[in-house]
Amino acid sequence: MSGFGAISGNFLREQIRAPLNLVLLVAIPAFFVLIFASVLGEFAEALGGDLARQSATAISAGWAAAFLCGALSYFQVSSSREADRRLALAGLGPRRVATGRIAASLALGVVVSVVAYLTLWLRSGVAHPLHVAAAIFIFAAIYIGVGALIGTLVRGPLEGSLLVVLVFSLDVFSGPAMTSSGGFGNFTPTNHAANLLIAGGGGQGSPTSDWIGGAAIAFGGLLVALVAFFLSARGRG
Amino acid sequence: MALRDQLRRPLLLILLVVVPAYVVTRSIATTEATPRLIELPDGSVIATTMRELHGAIMAGMTIGFVAALVGVFVMQSALLGDRRLVLAGYRPFEAITARLLVLISLTALVVAVSALVTAAHFTPMLWPTFLLSLVLIGLIYASIGALAGAVLDKLAATYLIFFLALTDLGVVQNPMFGDGAPADWAVILPGYGPSRLMVGAAFSPTLHPFDDLVLSLAWVLILGGGAFLVLRRSIGRQG
Repeated sequence: MSGFGAISGNFLREQIRAPLNLVLLVAIPAFFVLIFASVLGEFAEALGGDLARQSATAISAGWAAAFLCGALSYFQVSSSREADRRLALAGLGPRRVATGRIAASLALGVVVSVVAYLTLWLRSGVAHPLHVAAAIFIFAAIYIGVGALIGTLVRGPLEGSLLVVLVFSLDVFSGPAMTSSGGFGNFTPTNHAANLLIAGGGGQGSPTSDWIGGAAIAFGGLLVALVAFFLSARGRG
Repeated sequence: MALRDQLRRPLLLILLVVVPAYVVTRSIATTEATPRLIELPDGSVIATTMRELHGAIMAGMTIGFVAALVGVFVMQSALLGDRRLVLAGYRPFEAITARLLVLISLTALVVAVSALVTAAHFTPMLWPTFLLSLVLIGLIYASIGALAGAVLDKLAATYLIFFLALTDLGVVQNPMFGDGAPADWAVILPGYGPSRLMVGAAFSPTLHPFDDLVLSLAWVLILGGGAFLVLRRSIGRQG
């Protein structure tokens, strides 16, 4: 267990070795929630969504967590591919490298989610704290999987970043926050998470189906990320 | 050679077309035609709709973000390898020019796609000025991305430009929010000049864009010059 802790700790330190990375990981979700929360209600109304102001504030926290974790996870896979292979060949094995990476991703996902949640709470108050906190983390977990999957498939950093942006845009524009028409939006990765966060932000409960759906997709996202890290670390031949 | 290198990355070219095309199209298509009053650069107030506004401004926001991302990675690629070109015998100016040409070409592609997609949904009053504003946004944000890529690692640079483009172009300069005019302090942000040009060209048949144009060009020169100097210093250093 101490070996696992050491590996995960090193992977975590790798991401925050540049102090500015840590500053941005904390500052951006905070500023994102503060700035976008005030305009998202108007924006959603313009796009035909039926988002109440409190819910618009809450959804901004989910989106911040999603994009930041998606980009983070993508660069974890794409930037560390060769180093992880060497670590695995040197004796760690791909399984331990993968579990170390997922632990580091989860830790950073928690940091981003906590900052977004705290900003939300300080700015607007949160009627259902655990509900909202869980929903924000579900966004983060799903996009850890999205970023890792893209990192496995796409090597070029510009291409990978653009693909993360494209998936995020598809998700946001089709989700329940931005449109009330359903359709394709019912199949976006964060559909259930968005419903959870909109309800929680509005001080309402959520149906069990949204909880089960959100949890299942978050678990699936983390599983995809674990497999992606494993495949990335597995040596050739 | 540098441009040929980009052609070997078909996924990049596809994404540089698909991302702006999807974002602009989708955002306009899903916007309701809610009435909206906005203030033009000449101080006049006009009535339009949210859909028309979105058609006018979404291209700029998309170009800003995508061009900045391109700037980040073109700069990082240049810093990684172009010093070797100089050591191999190329003059620094040649290596730098090639990189800047790639950056400008990819930015031009994003501008062209965004303009074409916008044209399918919205007709600005003054197309030449509208196009000019999109080009200026692209150049300003490509330079910002290049500078971010020079000083920050990939992740930090991506975070920073995501936040900056969305805040500047997507919120502060966006007449869809607030009272329809940017706040007074918005002038300090790089997106102010080209955004005012863009909105003015979109909705006004007569425009006197001198101030906004000068401001925009100043940003292009300062930021673009900064990116050039960073490259020159890194690639052309002695020893």
